[in-house]
Amino acid sequence: MKSIKTYNLVIILLAFTFTGCDDNLDLEPEQSLTPEAALGSANNIRNLLVGTYDLAGQNEIFAGSYNLASELIANTEELAWRGTYQGPAEFNRKEITTGNGFVADYWITSYAVSNQVNLILENLEKFEEEEEAARVQGEAKFLRAAVYFDLLRFFALPYKAEGGNSQMGVPIVTMGVSDASQIVFPPRNTVEEGYDFVIQDLKDAIANLPESNPIASFYANKFAAKALLARVYFQQGNYPRALEASNFVIENSPFSLTEDFAGAFNNDGDSTEDIFAWQITTQDGLNDMNEYWATREFGGRSLTGDVTIEAPYFEVFNDEEDDRSSFFYEGNGTLSTTKWQNQFAIIPFLRLAEMHLIRAESNFRLDSSLGAAPVDDINTLRERAGAPILSSVTLIEILEERKRELAFEGFALHDAKRLKQSIDGLAFDANSLVLPIPQREMDANTNLEQNPGYTN
Amino acid sequence: MKPKLHGILTLIIAFVVQIGFAQQQTVTGTVTDENGLPLPGVNIIIKGTSTGVQTDFDGYYLIEPSQGDILVFSFIGYSRTEIPVANQNTIDVTLNTDASVLDEVLVVGYGTSSRRTLTDNIASISADEINEVPVPSLQSALVGKAAGVQITQVNGKVESGIKIRVRGVSTISSSQDPLYVIDGIPLINSDENINDSPINPLISLNPNDIASIEILKDASSAAIYGARGSNGVVLITTKRGKSGATKISLNTSYGWSEETNRRDFLNTEEYVELFTEAYLNAGFTQEDAFADFNSFAENEVDWREGSVDTDWQDFAFVDGSVSDLNLNASGGSEKTQFFLSLGYNNTVGIIRGNDLERYNFRSNVDHQVSEKFKLGVTSSIAKTQINRLANDNSFATPLQSIAQIPFTRPYLDNGLPNPNTLYYNFLNQEVNAENKTSIWRLNANVFAEYQIIPSLSFRSELGYDLNVQTAETFDGRLTESQSVGGFAETQSVQNEKYVINNYFTYYTLLGENTNLEATAGMSFEDDKRKAQFVQGQGFPSDDLRTVNSAAEIVGGGSSRTAFTFISYFARTNLTILDKYLLKGSIRYDGSSRFGVDEQYGFFPAFSGGWIVSEEDFLMDSETFSLLKLRASWGVTGNADIGNFASRSLFGGASYNGRPALNPSQLGDSSLKWENTIQYDIGVDFGLLKNRISGSFDYYNKTTNDLLLNEPIPSTSGFTNITRNVGEIQNTGLELVIDTKNIVSDDLKWSSSFNIAYNDNEVTNLPGGDIISAQNIVQEGEVLGSLFMVEFAGADPENGDALFVRNTLNDDGSRDRSLTNNFNEATRVVLGSPFPDIIAGFTNNLYYKNVDFSFTFQGQWGSSIYNTGGRFQSASADYFDNQSSDQLDRWQEPGDITDVPEARLFGANGTQSSSRYLQESDFIRLRNITLGYSLPSSFTKKINIDRLRIYFTAINLLTFTDYDGFDPESTYDVDANSNINVGNAFYSAPPAKTMTVGVNFEF
Repeated sequence: MKSIKTYNLVIILLAFTFTGCDDNLDLEPEQSLTPEAALGSANNIRNLLVGTYDLAGQNEIFAGSYNLASELIANTEELAWRGTYQGPAEFNRKEITTGNGFVADYWITSYAVSNQVNLILENLEKFEEEEEAARVQGEAKFLRAAVYFDLLRFFALPYKAEGGNSQMGVPIVTMGVSDASQIVFPPRNTVEEGYDFVIQDLKDAIANLPESNPIASFYANKFAAKALLARVYFQQGNYPRALEASNFVIENSPFSLTEDFAGAFNNDGDSTEDIFAWQITTQDGLNDMNEYWATREFGGRSLTGDVTIEAPYFEVFNDEEDDRSSFFYEGNGTLSTTKWQNQFAIIPFLRLAEMHLIRAESNFRLDSSLGAAPVDDINTLRERAGAPILSSVTLIEILEERKRELAFEGFALHDAKRLKQSIDGLAFDANSLVLPIPQREMDANTNLEQNPGYTN
Repeated sequence: MKPKLHGILTLIIAFVVQIGFAQQQTVTGTVTDENGLPLPGVNIIIKGTSTGVQTDFDGYYLIEPSQGDILVFSFIGYSRTEIPVANQNTIDVTLNTDASVLDEVLVVGYGTSSRRTLTDNIASISADEINEVPVPSLQSALVGKAAGVQITQVNGKVESGIKIRVRGVSTISSSQDPLYVIDGIPLINSDENINDSPINPLISLNPNDIASIEILKDASSAAIYGARGSNGVVLITTKRGKSGATKISLNTSYGWSEETNRRDFLNTEEYVELFTEAYLNAGFTQEDAFADFNSFAENEVDWREGSVDTDWQDFAFVDGSVSDLNLNASGGSEKTQFFLSLGYNNTVGIIRGNDLERYNFRSNVDHQVSEKFKLGVTSSIAKTQINRLANDNSFATPLQSIAQIPFTRPYLDNGLPNPNTLYYNFLNQEVNAENKTSIWRLNANVFAEYQIIPSLSFRSELGYDLNVQTAETFDGRLTESQSVGGFAETQSVQNEKYVINNYFTYYTLLGENTNLEATAGMSFEDDKRKAQFVQGQGFPSDDLRTVNSAAEIVGGGSSRTAFTFISYFARTNLTILDKYLLKGSIRYDGSSRFGVDEQYGFFPAFSGGWIVSEEDFLMDSETFSLLKLRASWGVTGNADIGNFASRSLFGGASYNGRPALNPSQLGDSSLKWENTIQYDIGVDFGLLKNRISGSFDYYNKTTNDLLLNEPIPSTSGFTNITRNVGEIQNTGLELVIDTKNIVSDDLKWSSSFNIAYNDNEVTNLPGGDIISAQNIVQEGEVLGSLFMVEFAGADPENGDALFVRNTLNDDGSRDRSLTNNFNEATRVVLGSPFPDIIAGFTNNLYYKNVDFSFTFQGQWGSSIYNTGGRFQSASADYFDNQSSDQLDRWQEPGDITDVPEARLFGANGTQSSSRYLQESDFIRLRNITLGYSLPSSFTKKINIDRLRIYFTAINLLTFTDYDGFDPESTYDVDANSNINVGNAFYSAPPAKTMTVGVNFEF
């Protein structure tokens, strides 16, 4: 009957209408893993370690931007900043604002590395083999030490060799965060605590790392950790320890200086001299050294480089035959450094030449000749660069050799602070030579105290 | 016994059959107006059903109601008439003019409603207001037409995003866009640009296909869409056929466009003068300056004598045009009705290298299978091809060329772009680059409606929306990709959505005086998106532009994502004695997007109305032809955030070609909907026989559980996490007044005015301020307030830029003293990116065969921060060409000016401060149309029903004190940001277009 059919129809339609499709709400992301999966297996912890290299090798820090801060803040006349970005312009004028985007990225990227290392260190038990767990620990701590070291050098007042470094450093975070409940608001630790932390991490790394990394040679090994430790001690003015560490690397490692100076740069892979370098390929990694220091023809942003080399720099050379004095090329009437010409070259982070310079200066200051006499170390570098060798060296000569060899590689500001040199009329420990804690960080964490001299 | 049983059974059967099969009869008649002229196109509906027919050209109709049914005759402009069907077979009807908008039938979610009994706040815009506005995007046609709905163009690129904001912005991190629904099916509204410059997702829709647009503004109307209703809902209804003779309509138009405004920059002489001074003030010598000028110029005379004096805006802007063609046919028999349309639009933008071409096809068919069963299909397909430009933050974007030095030439003698310009010469893009995007949009839905019993019908809709977009870019060896030998990228996105709606509609009379209408049903939505891209570099020739020819593939990827919604809803309307109205609805929504702990939400709404003018004491009032009070309250939600925002996630990465994992997101499993509670109190009125009608509303919208990317200390490894924190409130007033100023045979003049005031305030922000560049989200302030150091002009003694300290004193007041050290000044809120008041004013005049209409729009209370000002108006800090106002620079002690001394590399006042902040109030003559329809006596001779010639202008006049390019030109890279609103950065102004066109109707 019509009405029965009607009611049946209604019931069928009702059933059809109100059938739940609940399980259709359970969707999983297809390009991501949950923390349980990501931290749950040895294979994924290995992947996280590789990811930490990726993060540390980002252009926001070691692949070019940190370098700009060091070179430009220390600059008086040797360089010119011709680029349009305001951030580096502030570095050059030494009038840095808390809203500086480059500064914020230093902080954010460095702590992202720190967090990832913390997550790895908390999950080492996933590895079945002790040897692998140890190596992974060593690599992770090497990377963590690298980021904290530069955070301290840039965001805090200089380390005082005589001790008592109670000035504000940066927060030291050792707990990994992979869930909202783990977020904390740490205050700043002191510079002393910071350096202790960095040195401990490097010592652990040295103890746990093999001499060569079995996975790939461009990952960290014992010598990389030792070389970085040498740099840390050197910055502290701890010359005995710096000497011992740099000497260890030179004497025991398989690394050797490249045949000529040019050979140490613009390489697609690690050269014989690279103790550790950040890997860049055409598909992976952005080389911001090139971005700011090269002309547009070679991958930079403008017709001239954003940073060009000016006449006053060349006063440090006293020999025309020194290859390093002509390792430049022209761009629209200005000079650019050939060190950063190749857009897809790897970026040396620790190279053997620096170890020679540390050893030479440490030996000189301690009046010793461990491994080699200071003049011999200097001459090794000079010979390689085609410059005439010297019969003897003074401290001034050693410091100038540093400028000839390591120019534009991000050492300028740190050297000036270590040597207590004033920059453009500012004392080495002036407030404006220290980066401000980024405004976004001050806004997000009220437990932080801003560096003196910065208010808004 | 047997015969009796048989008899009783027969009676029962007869009784039941009587109920089951109502007695049907055929009723015909003619509908005429007061003058006896037949009215074609009048709707005749059997009340309480969706069965209906239309009168033909002679006003004649045929319908098959059952005895006892009521026939409702309605036609826009005439009063609605109801006639019960008794035994008669002929019902002739005379309709009286009642040009009241109150008999409008409006589309609401899952049904329709008459304006008369509506208790919600819905703005309705009809086809005549939308059609024939020759802009490629349909949203542009709505400007100034709906109270409280702010529609702004991001900037002057033809495909640029359009923002619609209904009653203020009520979210910080979720989407601020309303939900767009076309013919009952939610639309995909994602911007799939690959270069940070947004593309309007609805650019593929043909505005000429639209019959009406309803904007559901209050909670009671939008709550039927539950979790998607917080920002309002835009219901788009496309045209459908009507039975009667087939009508064919052809509309063709052509227009000329240019930019609404240019700015003044220095010419060669002024540049040399200002910069020479800047060099000297910075401690350089005149020789230094001249040497540098020589290094920039090709020849010394270029700058010394001004023999090269380029206004780069002449090259960035070009003359634009719009060609539009539309052909549609509609008609049908009693059983089958169709609407077909073909459309073509070619818009050449006013910025060099930007144009759009669109092809549309639509086919809507309705078929009455049997009396109770109706089927229909709505389908459209569109292809759009766009030549695009780089985003505003790129040297390759034409507007950035205003920074080029005036004594550099754009082209060399050989016709190629000059490579020796201060910044990359964007003219190389024309020669050596391309950026093309193609969009294919397919919308289809089928519906079936079955009338189970006359009072109960069931409707099922299955809808499908497909958005496929392919973007291809190439940059050759003359461009910024020269170091890699040319770079190409291709990206393709396929996004499809299918929707199932099933619902019952029930009409009945309770007792004598109460009409009950109820709807109940479910909706399921499944959205899937796939994307692929590849990048290559190193091309052997600039003529080979696809990635196939690249020497090296340097990037590539593919991804998939999806989301679903399952919802149940119910709604009831009660009309008592035709004057007391009650409505209630509820929706229960679940989605894959939310934390496992909080996957479902309830969204109720109630509203009521009282048609006071139906009461005895007002029934015969001469003044009040209508007075209706209404109030509504409801809860809606906002669920428009990433598909997996509640999860902590790790993603794939690589280092030197080795696979890696990195944490990508920190999540919170208790993440849930944002809830907006809105109440609205309104009055609808009609005075003097509806000569003056309108409405007045007060609303209050409170959104809590705001989904916020809460900044967290980056010491945790992340910079933010999405949480439900905070509360934002919008309160406001809306007034709409429609007047029929003159109604005579020859001359008709009507006006419509709408004005709305909105007060936006972030009322609770537990995490503290969120600051992003120059915008702040702060408790007590408008969302995205402009927050920066206050600039105080130049120091009369030395020309230094001065700032107001504004540091807080102990007593809470601000230190208003001035300083020239930027770091001593503290930031304060100095403006709002959103207007307080928006208004629209439309006039329509008809005089014999001439029609004339115009619409003004206005906005007051907003400001724009020009992020580019730090380069454009920087006291000659760097070599960029400066705006002419920099010539008012301080030069000697005693000068009083706002422009600090020109100092090369001096950064004199170039920090982010209110030096670059300006109010952006404006009034614009948005459209103006003049049309002439040839007399029908003439056109009928050539078999044309109507031939109209018209002239239309868009954005013809703009009145503003803002001296940037235009108040509607903002930074496209920030266009999808909720917080970074109100910023401009080398953004192009919109186009001013003048069009002539012809309509033919056969």
